[in-house]
Amino acid sequence: MGTERSIQMIALRLRSLFRRRQVDQELDEEIREHLDHLTNNYIAKGLAPREAREAALREFGGVVQAKENCRDARKVNWLQNLVQDVRFGVRMLRKSPGVTAVVVIALALGVGANTSIFSIVDGFLLRPLPVPSPEQITVLAIQQKDAPIGSSGFSYPEFLDYRRQADTFSGVFGLVLSSVQLTSNDLSDRCFVNYVSGNFFSALGVKPALGRLILPSEGETPDEPPVVILDYSYWQRRFNGDPGVVGRRILVDDKSATIIGVAPQRFHGMFSIFEMDIYLPMSAMSLEEPAIAFWNNRDRRRILAFGRLKPGVSLREAQSSLDVVTARLASQYPATDKWFTVRALPEKSARPIAYANNSFVVISGLFLVLAAFVLLLACLNVENILLARGSARQREMGIRAALGAGRVRLICQMLAESVLLAVLGGAAGIAIGVLANRWTNAIHLKDIPLQLDSTLDWRVLIFAAATVLFAGIVVGLLPAIRASSADVNIVLHTGPPRSPGGIHRPGIRNFLIVAQVAGSLVLLVAAGLFVRSLQKVQGFDLGFEPDHVLNVTMDPHGIGYDEARTKGFYRDIETRVRALPGVQSAGLASYVPMGGFPSKAAVSIEGRPTVAGEQPPRVLFNCVDPAYLETMHVSLLRGRNFTDSDDEAAPLVVIINQTMADRFWPHEDAIGKRFSMEGTAGPFVEVIGVTSDGKYQTIGEDAQPFFYVPLAQNFVSKRTLHVRTLVPPESIAATVKDEIARQARGLPIVNIETMKQLLQGAFGVFAFRLAATLAAVLGTIGLILAVVGVYGVVSFAASLRTREIGIRMALGADARDILNLVWLQGVRLVLWGIAIGMAAAWALARAMRHLVAGISTSDPVTYCTVAILLSVVVLLACWIPAQRATRVDPMVALRYE
Amino acid sequence: MSKPADLVQGTLDLLLLKILALEPMNGYAISQRLKQVSQDVLQVSDGSLYPALHKLEQEGWITAEWKATENNRRAKFYSLTRMGRKHLEKEAGNWARLSAAISRVVKLNEV
Repeated sequence: MGTERSIQMIALRLRSLFRRRQVDQELDEEIREHLDHLTNNYIAKGLAPREAREAALREFGGVVQAKENCRDARKVNWLQNLVQDVRFGVRMLRKSPGVTAVVVIALALGVGANTSIFSIVDGFLLRPLPVPSPEQITVLAIQQKDAPIGSSGFSYPEFLDYRRQADTFSGVFGLVLSSVQLTSNDLSDRCFVNYVSGNFFSALGVKPALGRLILPSEGETPDEPPVVILDYSYWQRRFNGDPGVVGRRILVDDKSATIIGVAPQRFHGMFSIFEMDIYLPMSAMSLEEPAIAFWNNRDRRRILAFGRLKPGVSLREAQSSLDVVTARLASQYPATDKWFTVRALPEKSARPIAYANNSFVVISGLFLVLAAFVLLLACLNVENILLARGSARQREMGIRAALGAGRVRLICQMLAESVLLAVLGGAAGIAIGVLANRWTNAIHLKDIPLQLDSTLDWRVLIFAAATVLFAGIVVGLLPAIRASSADVNIVLHTGPPRSPGGIHRPGIRNFLIVAQVAGSLVLLVAAGLFVRSLQKVQGFDLGFEPDHVLNVTMDPHGIGYDEARTKGFYRDIETRVRALPGVQSAGLASYVPMGGFPSKAAVSIEGRPTVAGEQPPRVLFNCVDPAYLETMHVSLLRGRNFTDSDDEAAPLVVIINQTMADRFWPHEDAIGKRFSMEGTAGPFVEVIGVTSDGKYQTIGEDAQPFFYVPLAQNFVSKRTLHVRTLVPPESIAATVKDEIARQARGLPIVNIETMKQLLQGAFGVFAFRLAATLAAVLGTIGLILAVVGVYGVVSFAASLRTREIGIRMALGADARDILNLVWLQGVRLVLWGIAIGMAAAWALARAMRHLVAGISTSDPVTYCTVAILLSVVVLLACWIPAQRATRVDPMVALRYE
Repeated sequence: MSKPADLVQGTLDLLLLKILALEPMNGYAISQRLKQVSQDVLQVSDGSLYPALHKLEQEGWITAEWKATENNRRAKFYSLTRMGRKHLEKEAGNWARLSAAISRVVKLNEV
């Protein structure tokens, strides 16, 4: 019954709304009928028709009022009012296109910056995994005593134990991250690969886009013929989306493999910000390393493990069951399993990987705050403009009030305009955001598979809508309230506002200027810090000389060379390359600084017993040939370099860096000391030299220990040839490639680039450059907004005081006095703004301390430069209107009404 | 006769609903009937009749349809809905209680 009535009522109201004319006509007809009846009555009583009509009208009462009351009773007025307000608002905006354009652009910049940054953040922090029930997915991270969480992986036997014994998970799955060479149709490229456990796809619940995925039954028996799953975008990029790839045979490194399927489009693997190219089963790990070591060695830890919670199981229950398993394993295998616990973390909190001190969250938060500042500045600008327009429309508001508009009605009308502006600005802003994201999506780095998939999803749209509404309503409310409070009498009887303010009171004006200066200062300081940090980082001492070095990475294993043949190849190619014109020297290494993932070894010092329960420290190292140190200009501080006589038959030797010497043998001479990379029993290597420190993994890292071992004593197939040239290194790239092709037909070159190019990459300055660029863009937008805003406020304030200035000039003030009057006021406010901005910037910069390198977050140079720059620009913005004020002709000013 | 009594809006609704409960009729007929039954005590200006009718229609207590009358013209006839009938009963009950209470107070004998 209730619903029937509601339906009826809704139908009625809709009709009143959309068929207004028809409904009005019906009302007219109804009343006309009634009047005719009354008129006929009077005629019947004997009156003349015209008098009868008048009598009827008298009896009826006010016809127009009746109709109006009927319309009121129809209760859809608020909607009609809204439509009316919007129409009027559009007309008003069209009347002043310049102001409208400025406001829309300002809001578009603010909303655009926020939307694009939020959508990136959403893409890698907030968006759930594209699998069923993503909240059940957890990361299993190893927590060592004294080491950051997640710095170690699982070994295969351990992984199996957890999979079998942790009963609160419906599936425990894992992967190993690596890179391989994929060859198909004579094209070869380097791919990022996940070696996954058999139940990886089934536990995640992923369905293939093409073909099929790896089954639980296959994939963990060693020596099975490898199957390959392609990532969707890799499939598009590399194979042009050809559906015929299923079943195609390809070469992975030098082994034959078959493509069996393609992963779905939205699935990027378990790392939200990185993108895998292909998936291989763990059984294919034998491509990488001796199978026996991987499958059986409890200490060979390369697996990253995840688990899917059973439905209804809480994280705490899962953690307890993991602890039980850990305790059991610790007692069963005290040698390897005693020193850690396993923590279960929700997948969302461990993005992109489970690692303590996750600076991604800090960076995201920081840039969201900076973008919010830009929006704030835009809103302040808009606020000023609306206040100015509001005060100009006070007469109109007064007249409307006199005609019977209530206060709420007036406010609604002005709000409709500001929301309309906000919607226009917001739409433009979303468009800007989408364009900006298309630019970031296209960022594709060679050495790290970054993907910033930031498509618009509902979260981003809601965020944009909320931003727009905030801008429209909050910003428009004050001017609306102020304008609607106009006292009808005063406004109608006086002319345009005489008092220096009207609704645009000094307090608000001052606040606007101070806030804009402060906000802009914060943005500029952030930008300045990032830019200075980039400069510093680019000037860092890397421990080697990167200029004029060409890196050529290759792997003879890929064309089936065995160890002896590989050694011969490298020897020959070095000789030939050294003989090329323009080449100064050449050396080989297994790892390139800042080039990716270096090898680590557990260092056990000879003669030092291990403390129970403690793991030996892990140190990075590189396998190099005798020519390396000289080629890379790494300075040898003490001792000697490797020579050709340090070969397989000779005693094992090592060269360490200064930090390693200081850390492991403080106050002693490290030369002659020995340590082992394989446990306390040896074999031991002897230190024969000490090099200066340098940067090894990332350009912003702290000093860390590092050592070099000879390639002759540590065979590695994949090596990088560093070529130091006298000419620009790019110019000999082709020649070197030819030489290699001549030496070894068909040898795929994994990578060829200059050292400088590498340093622009992900482990080099890329992050710093990106942050500096983004912050500089935001800072510039902020500066422009602040300058325009301050100019607008001061200009308007000065124009309000035209009469006063005229009077002063008539009374004898000269140009300088007027200038001081207008300008000094601005100066004081700007100084306040700078002071407040400095404080706010300093506070915000504290959050940045892990994101900058080489400078402190209270770097005085940055703060001073920014403060001076901003002051000069803003004071100029104050000075121009002040200067204009002095040119007021007193006669004109006094007559100006 | 003293001046026509002023009517509170809510009571007008009650009267209209009651009149329509007896039979559906159009606006003019309602106003005539009202004058007739109340013996001219209740004088509702037609200008306030129609807004009241429209409001009742909005609330869903009466519905309206256009019907042909004699003389081949059409008129808008209002009739009571089921919800309206219920509402009428409730309001009538309230009115009865209210008026009884007022009568009791007014009939108190002065001392």
